[in-house]
Amino acid sequence: MIKNSYIPIPVKVDKIRFETEDKLIKTFDLVFMDKEEEKAFRYYPGQFAELSILGKGESPIGIASSPTESGFLRFTVMKVGVVTTALHNFDEGAIMGVRGPLGNWYPIEEMKGKNVVIVGGGFAFTTLRSLLIYMLDKKNRKNYGEITCIYGARTPGLLCYRDELKEWEKRKDMSLYQCIDWKFGAEGPIEEAAVEGWEPINLKEPSKTKIKKDIKKFTAFVPQLVSAVKPGAKDSYAIVCGPPIMIKFTIPVLTELGFPPERIINSLENRMKCGIGKCGRCNIGPKYVCKDGPVFSLKELEKLPKEY
Amino acid sequence: MKDSLKNVKYIEKDKILDFIKVLQKDYTVIAPKKVKDFVLFGELKDNEEPYLDFLNSRQSPKEFYFPQTETIVEYEGIIDKRVPKFSENDMKKRIIFGIRPCDVKSTLILDKLFVNEDYIDDYYKRLRDNTLIFSFGCNNPKTTCFCASFECGPFSEEGSDAFITDIGDKFIIEGITEQGNKIIDKLPDGDGGMLKKKKEIKKNSDNVVSCIENIQKIPEKLRGMFENPVWEEISERCLGCGVCTYLCPTCHCFDIQDEMIGEDGRRVKNWDSCMFPIFTLHGSGHQPREFRFQRMRQRIMHKFNYYEENFNIIACSGCGRCVTECPVNIDVREILEKIKKL
Ligand SMILES: Cc1cc2nc3c(=O)[nH]c(=O)nc-3n(C[C@H](O)[C@H](O)[C@H](O)COP(=O)(O)OP(=O)(O)OC[C@H]3O[C@@H](n4cnc5c(N)ncnc54)[C@H](O)[C@@H]3O)c2cc1C
Ligand code: SF4
Ligand code: FES
Repeated sequence: MIKNSYIPIPVKVDKIRFETEDKLIKTFDLVFMDKEEEKAFRYYPGQFAELSILGKGESPIGIASSPTESGFLRFTVMKVGVVTTALHNFDEGAIMGVRGPLGNWYPIEEMKGKNVVIVGGGFAFTTLRSLLIYMLDKKNRKNYGEITCIYGARTPGLLCYRDELKEWEKRKDMSLYQCIDWKFGAEGPIEEAAVEGWEPINLKEPSKTKIKKDIKKFTAFVPQLVSAVKPGAKDSYAIVCGPPIMIKFTIPVLTELGFPPERIINSLENRMKCGIGKCGRCNIGPKYVCKDGPVFSLKELEKLPKEY
Repeated sequence: MKDSLKNVKYIEKDKILDFIKVLQKDYTVIAPKKVKDFVLFGELKDNEEPYLDFLNSRQSPKEFYFPQTETIVEYEGIIDKRVPKFSENDMKKRIIFGIRPCDVKSTLILDKLFVNEDYIDDYYKRLRDNTLIFSFGCNNPKTTCFCASFECGPFSEEGSDAFITDIGDKFIIEGITEQGNKIIDKLPDGDGGMLKKKKEIKKNSDNVVSCIENIQKIPEKLRGMFENPVWEEISERCLGCGVCTYLCPTCHCFDIQDEMIGEDGRRVKNWDSCMFPIFTLHGSGHQPREFRFQRMRQRIMHKFNYYEENFNIIACSGCGRCVTECPVNIDVREILEKIKKL
């Protein structure tokens, strides 16, 4: 077959599992039908692919596996519309397609020798998982300084990759802080554990929270937990992925902690089709999110119009 | 003396069909044809003459490299077993005959997007690589033409393989590229008198065609204008119909859709328009361009700022189609003049 950038590469759906308790999010492990195609698909954490279901369409989805895990590509997908619903209706063994890898990636080279703070919210943790697995890989771990991960969801059951979170909790070479949302009363959030075992932080002044050494699970919004944990900004990068509202409130916290805009990294989403900068759909100013992104530093974003 | 004119040939007007027939031995010839009240480009059939008594075609011939609907892959069978089928038949080379200089310029503008070092659109490239351009000078530019603003103009030869001029009783055809010269080689040689006539016609056209002065300053001017209230003013009347983008020879936005008939299907690229809200609507309901003025801003910014920033060229050739066909008379020339004054 003649190669071109619009033609999906055939893959088989090898494993499917529910990722969250609400059953709206599933994780799919895909394997290439052709070993040569697998070899040619060289990707980095932060990149995405178009998942292609012939007859339904395509959806851009971040690659959740890490290039250090070979033999499969992993995607964690929320059921939203036409394509993602068709995908959720698939059984193991189904044949579908991928196009990619597409887009740029997290600055894994520039971050060498630096500390990395990962801040994630909800199911947008996908490419952060890829990055974390990549940095924790035996060959790569020594290249990075301290690794801190702050990850939250509305409820414990909405956190993705819960088996892996349990392993990461135990690791000595990284710190993982998890949180779930406050319970709400008539006056707003109630300052108590939303679920037993999830310690409330200082609601009024999150930065005054005393973080006890062995407590790693909190009731807090993600930006508040960042402000409570106070990851050091010196020689550090912060990688932030999550719902727009979380990003909006996390950035000022990081800025206050001293992270300069060029070391605050975001991954954007826009409606996409081609994924290769041709169809004109995903631009923010002169940049195409599909081709020039999805990863942008805050410094780069500050130069672009606020149209996303 | 004759030697210096070896690239200049001519055809008597009543012999044009003979020449087309010669071309058709090796090429598919795409030329202007009269379709009801319009002139549109289409493939000439046997014994069909091109219709060359026109100002400009209603649509540009961009559809011949960037078709309105184009198959990407085909497939069949049940949904979770489909694999893409893709076949590429040999393609007969084509000549686009009688295309106006603004539409040639637009082609050169599109080339930068579809074929560059980041990615190549193989569908576009294949059609483009197999197409020669015989462009046609404009003796009577329309009042809405402003090609002269863009390093183009009614007699611009850039991008042509051969250039046709109507000098009254004859057409002269000048070879521009080697391939163009080879194709016209058998035609009778033109003479100095013919070229002189062309010069006069060209001079007249250059005088009458309108030009937006200093258009090259617009991209810089637009750089700080994203938040300017002028966008609301400019788009007040706009209906959001998208005609301006469909008729534009440089608009290249498209959608990708799957079409099924029973269990047979195909995936296609379809022209799309940034003037429609669904263009940017996320699956989650989030809409980065909610208001019409934001979409108008996108159209103007894309052409006159973003494209220039990415490819060093403004994405407009001054063909004037958006001006003549807008149902509420929104005139891009007025928009640009307004921006210049801000
Ligand atoms: C870089 C990137 C990474 C993403 N990563 C993930 C991920 O890891 N997991 C996940 O669940 N979702 C992710 N998304 C969002 C996901 O692409 C959309 O939810 C999905 O395309 C919706 O498709 P649909 O056909 O089900 O919805 P419909 O509403 O039926 O959408 C129709 C088509 O429009 C386009 N489209 C609609 N919404 C979006 C959108 N938000 N972004 C891009 N294209 C869209 C797609 O081509 C889609 O097929 C990502 C988006 C981007 C841009
Ligand atoms: S043709 Fe006119 S009315 Fe229609 S979208 Fe364009 S500017 Fe608006
Ligand atoms: S998705 Fe087509 S240009 Fe980005």
